[in-house]
Amino acid sequence: MLSLGPVAFAAPWLLLALPALPVLWWLLRVTPPSPRRIGFPALRLLRDLPITQETPARTPWWLLLLRMVAAALVILGLARPVLGPGLGGAAGEGTLLLAVDDGWAAAGDWPARMAAAGSALERAGREGRRAALLATAPTETGEAPRIIGPMPPGDLQARLAALRPKPWQPDRAAALAAFRAWRAAHPGPLATLLVTDAVEDGGAGPLQAALAEAGPLTVARDEARPVRLLPPPVAEADRLQVRVQQLPTTAETAAVVLARTADGRALAQVTVSIPAGAAGGEGVLELPIELRNQVVRLEIEGETGAGAVVLLDERFRRRPVGLLPPAEQSAETPLIGDLFYLDRALAPFVELRRGPLDRLLARPIAVLALADRPVAEGAEQQALTRWVEGGGTLVRFAGPRLAERPDPLLPVPLRAERQLGGALSWEQPQRLAPFPETSPFLGLPLPAEVTVERQVLAEPSPRLSERVWARLADGTPLVTAEARGKGRVILFHVTANAEWSNLPLSGLFVQMLRRIVALSAGIQGQEGEAPLAPLEVLDGFGRLGAAPPAAAALPAAAIETTLPSPRHPPGWYGTPGQGGMDHAANAAYRRALNLGGAIPAPRAAPPPPEGAGVMAIGGIPAERDLGPWLLALALLLLAADLVIGLVLRGLLALPARAVRVGAVLLALLAAGGARAQAPSPEQAALAARLAYVVTGDASLDETQRMGLAGLSDFVNRRTAAALAEPAAVVPGQDDLSFYPLLYWVVTPEAPQPDGAAVAALNAFMRQGGIILFDTRDEGSGEGFASGARAALRRVTRDLAIPPLTPVSEDHVLKRAFYLLPDLPGRFAGGQVWVARDQDRANDSVSPVIIGGHDWAAAWATDARGNNPFAVVPGGTRQRTLAYRFGVNLVMYALTGNYKGDQVHVPAILERLGN
Amino acid sequence: MRAPPGHAALRAEALGARLPPLVVAADRVAATVLQGVHGRRRSGQGDAFWQFRPYLPGDTAGRIDWRQSAKSDRLFIRETEWEAAQTVAVWSDASRSMEWAFSRDRPTKRQRADLLTAALAALVLRGGERVRLIGGPGRSHAGRAGLASFVEVMGGVAKSRALPSPDPGLPRHARVVLIGDFMAPLPEIHAAIAALAAWPVRGHILQVLDPEEETLGEGNRAYAGRVLFEWGSGGQSILVPRVEEARPVYVERLRHHRQGIAAIAAAAGWGFMTHHLDQPPQAALLALWQALAPQ
Repeated sequence: MLSLGPVAFAAPWLLLALPALPVLWWLLRVTPPSPRRIGFPALRLLRDLPITQETPARTPWWLLLLRMVAAALVILGLARPVLGPGLGGAAGEGTLLLAVDDGWAAAGDWPARMAAAGSALERAGREGRRAALLATAPTETGEAPRIIGPMPPGDLQARLAALRPKPWQPDRAAALAAFRAWRAAHPGPLATLLVTDAVEDGGAGPLQAALAEAGPLTVARDEARPVRLLPPPVAEADRLQVRVQQLPTTAETAAVVLARTADGRALAQVTVSIPAGAAGGEGVLELPIELRNQVVRLEIEGETGAGAVVLLDERFRRRPVGLLPPAEQSAETPLIGDLFYLDRALAPFVELRRGPLDRLLARPIAVLALADRPVAEGAEQQALTRWVEGGGTLVRFAGPRLAERPDPLLPVPLRAERQLGGALSWEQPQRLAPFPETSPFLGLPLPAEVTVERQVLAEPSPRLSERVWARLADGTPLVTAEARGKGRVILFHVTANAEWSNLPLSGLFVQMLRRIVALSAGIQGQEGEAPLAPLEVLDGFGRLGAAPPAAAALPAAAIETTLPSPRHPPGWYGTPGQGGMDHAANAAYRRALNLGGAIPAPRAAPPPPEGAGVMAIGGIPAERDLGPWLLALALLLLAADLVIGLVLRGLLALPARAVRVGAVLLALLAAGGARAQAPSPEQAALAARLAYVVTGDASLDETQRMGLAGLSDFVNRRTAAALAEPAAVVPGQDDLSFYPLLYWVVTPEAPQPDGAAVAALNAFMRQGGIILFDTRDEGSGEGFASGARAALRRVTRDLAIPPLTPVSEDHVLKRAFYLLPDLPGRFAGGQVWVARDQDRANDSVSPVIIGGHDWAAAWATDARGNNPFAVVPGGTRQRTLAYRFGVNLVMYALTGNYKGDQVHVPAILERLGN
Repeated sequence: MRAPPGHAALRAEALGARLPPLVVAADRVAATVLQGVHGRRRSGQGDAFWQFRPYLPGDTAGRIDWRQSAKSDRLFIRETEWEAAQTVAVWSDASRSMEWAFSRDRPTKRQRADLLTAALAALVLRGGERVRLIGGPGRSHAGRAGLASFVEVMGGVAKSRALPSPDPGLPRHARVVLIGDFMAPLPEIHAAIAALAAWPVRGHILQVLDPEEETLGEGNRAYAGRVLFEWGSGGQSILVPRVEEARPVYVERLRHHRQGIAAIAAAAGWGFMTHHLDQPPQAALLALWQALAPQ
């Protein structure tokens, strides 16, 4: 180790190479430059030149200097210079003990903590000291803290890198015991670096004191960053009360709490501001119940660590509601069923359950709604009473049956049923009165159109008014409620359907039910002692992962009081089998063990003992290795030297050319997609050629190309027409005016042409071009390309297609060159359509030919002249006829109705004869 | 990259468009039976009327000129003048040394030679004469459509020797035009020209050179100092320690070489011209036209 001011060299002996630089200088000077190489054909005349003078080596001095600097940089870089060595770390002699707090509070700035510990370790390595490592939290496997080492710092580096923050509290008392035991085994000089999270757990003071006693102590702590803890929120009807706890700071800070769904979306956020010196702050997350049901996780934005994450389980989410009808049969009948409106009102925000009463009560359930269903005496009544007193909310709706047979599970004694309005009554249907002050419905808007025609009346009693949650305008109760034990019984004095009143039709009904469900206690405390296995647990950084082997199941009832530990890491606990990674499947059976709330609010640890050095984490610059930078700089210089050398020898292309090449490359890149190029306009204009429309399917386009090439060959051989290589075109991009015929295979996936393509194709047809649409699924090929006809309709929707007719026997297409009875391609037997012969504008030449015989495949010839596609049903004759149709087609496209006029030749001859 | 044949034909025709059609001076027309513009003052194949002659037994009835015969009692046969065409045989050097141009902005010597060959062929064909490529497949081309096939044949010649080889299909008394750089040693050039002259044919030699070859790159900063000149796939190379010193020697050698070619051509009664790539091709084409056309 060689130190020169702020720079130290880790491999100083390499600097001995620096004196060799003058030798390099001398070598570079005496070596002549390599000759310029020039191609020159008149070499013979240069042979045996009588030349004597040799060109002197003339490397410019600045180029030599450049190379020297590069060489010096390489030497310096290889000597491993380090900037700012030893600024971090614990000063002192003897073994270095790294004591690292790796509890939950250390996760927030873990990389900075690791950097501080790592730099101390590196320094110890340079100074040749030995090092030991003490992590103060219990390990994942539940082992108490112990000291690793002493060992060479290089070996300890890997152990340090493997260290991760734990999602539980450190155990400093056990760490102190481990330190005492280790100290007894390894006496001698000791210097300690304590990287602490500054959160008191009861043992911070004694540990610091013991460490300071054993040798020089340096305490690294992070004052800038407050340690924050997020306890579970308090759930209210439409909001979550969030509290953030933190170590008091000298300035006001703010924390943002995010509500996230199972798939990580943030649904809401609230900014919690924490005044200076305060130990926490509160905020409110406003969330409609439908959205709140989706929230499974609250976290402090920007904080990592298990303490900044709260998992929200069933207690905060959908509540199960049981529905019990008087009779199973007609309960669900739309509009008149007993449960129809309840179902519609509750389904969006609760989990609805149906079934017999005993089965509903077998599972934890928050609310039970009985629509006009009397409760039978005996076991059923006892079970319901027990459930209500244990915390259940029973909602009952009146009706004819209930009016006949009242039972004790009602908030008020019932007197009679009365009817308001109707043919035999003077009274009018009653409206709602404003809600009483004590009612949980207070604040809900009162719709004027809600009227009640029938109701059951309550027996007047002194306690009646305090049990009324809603009443009619004449003062009779509409909704009454009574607390029973921990639970509540609520009665609607009307039916749950629209028979007695139109309340179930109104939005108020939905709002009331929501309030009731929100009031219910949920299913808390109903689980019992059943053990819940860990499903997913949080790691020290607050990320969910698989449960480690050391994690054990814990009783459901104890989950509120369990302190997170290696045996019970924070996370999801539930019943295996219904658990796993699927959040939806096990929603009712999953409980969360959270770090916040289980552990006390963070308190500041006592200050370091007298005489201990204090340094800040993250404030110090880490040691910087300059070697790679020097080597990179040397590489850059050598590259520049290479370029300069090329320029001096004249081998480098001119910049203008380089720019042009770059532009061409960019253009090529921009052009991107590989497709068969249509020939340039001037080339296309030089010769007649057939064209096909690019489909995008490479093999199909190749078939089309081969087909048209084969047809062109055939036409060239047999007729006076001279066709060049076929062209691939994209309508709307390529100029179509050079091509007499456009072959278009319509694939089932063919997209609808865009506006430019439609305009180009219509112009093409208007100017005499012919488009042959081939759906490849006609006649014997039926079913080969299903969906092509629909695609054809799609493709031609905007094209100006004239009225069509099947090709007649005497159509020019069948006699333009050969006389053809039918027009087979690869397939035969289908119908071919052309424009009806009524449009004289284009000399009766059809602008479209539509068929499905896959002619291109029949015409296709490969490089060796073979036909790669068999014709169906087959035979040389069919192939020949296919080629003949092709010739007729080309003739038709090139000469129009010329052959059609031949029809009139007999008449003309006859007239001449006369 | 070579342009497609159709393109080359177009360029050649455009180049020759400003010159009148070339009817080759032919004191002795090549002995072909093919129709052309040179009237032979005797009856034979042709378009121009030559004479009526009495019908002789043995003539087919179809040859009788009934209009003439109706004027008298005898039958006449209409004879046309035998019009023969002169053949111009062109040779374009396609050896490797022609594939060279100092900068990419300039065409290679091969490109210029091919262009001149095709343009000359276009002129000849427009004049109604026949044109033939020495070294190509043995076929003469005639008519306006002949240019395309000629250019196609020319494009098919990938590589040739540095001097024309004897062409057995060459008509006697045809005119020959040789276009190339003629960097071969003088004795070889002499032998090739002598063989052609003894066929017998008369002709012209057009030497196509890059200006850099003319002066060994005088004024070009790449041709300075220590330079390794190399050519050919065989890795032939010559290291010139100082080009500035070698330049006068090279120029002198080139001058001597050209004088030798001119002497060889003169001895055979041929013409000799030099064309540089920085000159417009029209100049060389005009010179060839003047050399071939009747005075």
